[in-house]
Amino acid sequence: MLNLTANNIFKNFGGLEVLKDVSFTVEGPELIGLIGPNGAGKTTLTNILDGALKPSSGTVYMNGERIDTRPPYGVARAGLGRTFQVTRAFRRMTVLENLLIPAMAMRATARQRDFEKKAQDVLEFLTIAHLRNEYARALSGGQQKLLELGRLLMLDPQMIILDEPFAGVHPRLMEVIYRYITETNAQGKAFIIISHDMDTIFTLSRRLLVLNYGDLIADGDPAVVREDPLVKAAYLGEDEE
Amino acid sequence: MNPTALFRVAGAAAVVILLLIPLASSELGGLGPLVLSGYVMHLAITAFFYAILASSWSLLAGYAGQFSFGHMAFMAIGGYTSGLIGKFIRFTTAPSELCTDIPLFGSWWLVVLNIRRVGTIDESCLDMAKTETLPAGTLIVFPPVWASIAMGLVMGATFGLLVGWLVLRLRSTYLALFTIGFSEILRASISAEIPITEGQSGLELVPLFPAGLLGFSSTSKIPPYYAMLLLFLVAMAMMTWLAGSRFGLFIRAIREDEEAAAALGVNIVRYKVLVFVITSTLAAAAGALQGHYIGIITPNTLIILQMSLVIAMAVIGGLENIYTASVGAIVITFMLELLRTNITIGPLHIDMTLWRLVFFGLLLMLTLRFQRNGLLYPILERISRGGVAAETVSIRAAPDEDEVDVEDEEHPPSGPDENADAEAVNDHAESDR
Repeated sequence: MLNLTANNIFKNFGGLEVLKDVSFTVEGPELIGLIGPNGAGKTTLTNILDGALKPSSGTVYMNGERIDTRPPYGVARAGLGRTFQVTRAFRRMTVLENLLIPAMAMRATARQRDFEKKAQDVLEFLTIAHLRNEYARALSGGQQKLLELGRLLMLDPQMIILDEPFAGVHPRLMEVIYRYITETNAQGKAFIIISHDMDTIFTLSRRLLVLNYGDLIADGDPAVVREDPLVKAAYLGEDEE
Repeated sequence: MNPTALFRVAGAAAVVILLLIPLASSELGGLGPLVLSGYVMHLAITAFFYAILASSWSLLAGYAGQFSFGHMAFMAIGGYTSGLIGKFIRFTTAPSELCTDIPLFGSWWLVVLNIRRVGTIDESCLDMAKTETLPAGTLIVFPPVWASIAMGLVMGATFGLLVGWLVLRLRSTYLALFTIGFSEILRASISAEIPITEGQSGLELVPLFPAGLLGFSSTSKIPPYYAMLLLFLVAMAMMTWLAGSRFGLFIRAIREDEEAAAALGVNIVRYKVLVFVITSTLAAAAGALQGHYIGIITPNTLIILQMSLVIAMAVIGGLENIYTASVGAIVITFMLELLRTNITIGPLHIDMTLWRLVFFGLLLMLTLRFQRNGLLYPILERISRGGVAAETVSIRAAPDEDEVDVEDEEHPPSGPDENADAEAVNDHAESDR
């Protein structure tokens, strides 16, 4: 079963302390929301978990293996996939090629045709099967988000981090993304979801992490976290004003 | 005919024509009314040389997105390595005592020459050894041309590895500046080290086939034509295979977005270094072969103008495809020569040997302004992807049971919305073409 442990993560950019002593553990297919005001350190934390940034101090372990020293591709192969705040489809490649990349990268001897059936299933699940031979740049913003989610299914990690999956998405596509998260989670994949969409994050997640200026100020059941005075003061209170 | 079959037939036809062209050369008496002079054959060889450079550069810049200006430097590394081996290395059956002797297997020795300039005459230690230390009957053997060319490839690959590793974290402008710097340093070093490289006067190389081949003399254009054509075809076959494999998929992903590729499990360091090594080796191979064909290599092949020529060929043909880049190179090599014909209109006399570069520059500017993907690539795209938009629309229009189910369960179908979506997709597809 999945176990991801972040121990005492600090991150400084020059004199700026972006993360201060952040520790948490994810066990099994949890569905976690990560919230916090702008500049709280959410994306920095994501980049550290993913290997794109090295922590100033602290460690990250996944299933007993240390991953904070690995490059991003090593973390991906260890079973952690992520999306980016700004959609990053491979724009001058077809939708199908976009999906084949993670599948091929995971297996050294793989051939493209081994994964075409799986890619087709993923595209159908995400309702963009008709676009499979289009260049990714021809897709709308929301469809490109779906494509990114599809790539993660092809990577087939144990844990998925989504950075703002609902930002700027049409309500109908939002339904698809919502279904993606709940169904993929039910199949045993853990999620950490960063979002500013409070209603969605409170209904979707079963555990909430709240960052405020680099401090992890709350970690627990969304209903409980919502009533936490620290959280209210730091974040939710501002929202209600 | 489907696009893949069409391309295969066209490719096979092109290969057959290229193989048959020497039959029409003046050396073989021509083919009916078609007689190709030695000059045309020379142009063809040069065209293949540039086609190898432009297509391998397109693999590096167009596929992997690594805009290197050092490609001609690797070409020169191949040529100079092969030339220097020919100049400084001999094999003998006895130690010379006066040169640097390295024992090989059996009674063979590898001798590194030490060449002194006495007045205007180059005096090598081996010449002295012949009269002084070497026993009578000692065999002195030149390194075979193919072996020195092979060493050129090894050096190209080694420098490709080194530069590839050094530029790993450099992007766009910085990579371009770094590689320009590398190229200039190499040019300056070659120009300065006159005792080794002969500097600006150029390093002489033995002919590709010193003893001739199959009855053709060492100055015949036909054996070099086939040698360069063979290298060109092997390079294209290799790059075609690479571009169609996981390697091609990954380097294009790196071009599009390095971080995203890494987050999806692609070892970007490995593939960036690999693409540098492979393309540098191809450039070095072309350089070594061309050096032996021409018989001399000078540091001027490294000037930025030469590199720009290769880039312009790839850009005008179509940077993102090895075939369009190579056809661009072949067409432009011939075009630049055809444009040498001077024009006289009434009292106006245009010296085209000077003005042709202006026309060439103009063509490059117009291509970059109006056809950024090159002049040939869009045609290729139109043939290979012509059916995509129609396919998208037809799949979209087909009833999809799963989707209908979802719509029914979660919210009522929203007719107008869906149409708007489909139109958006069609719009994108149209603009894409």
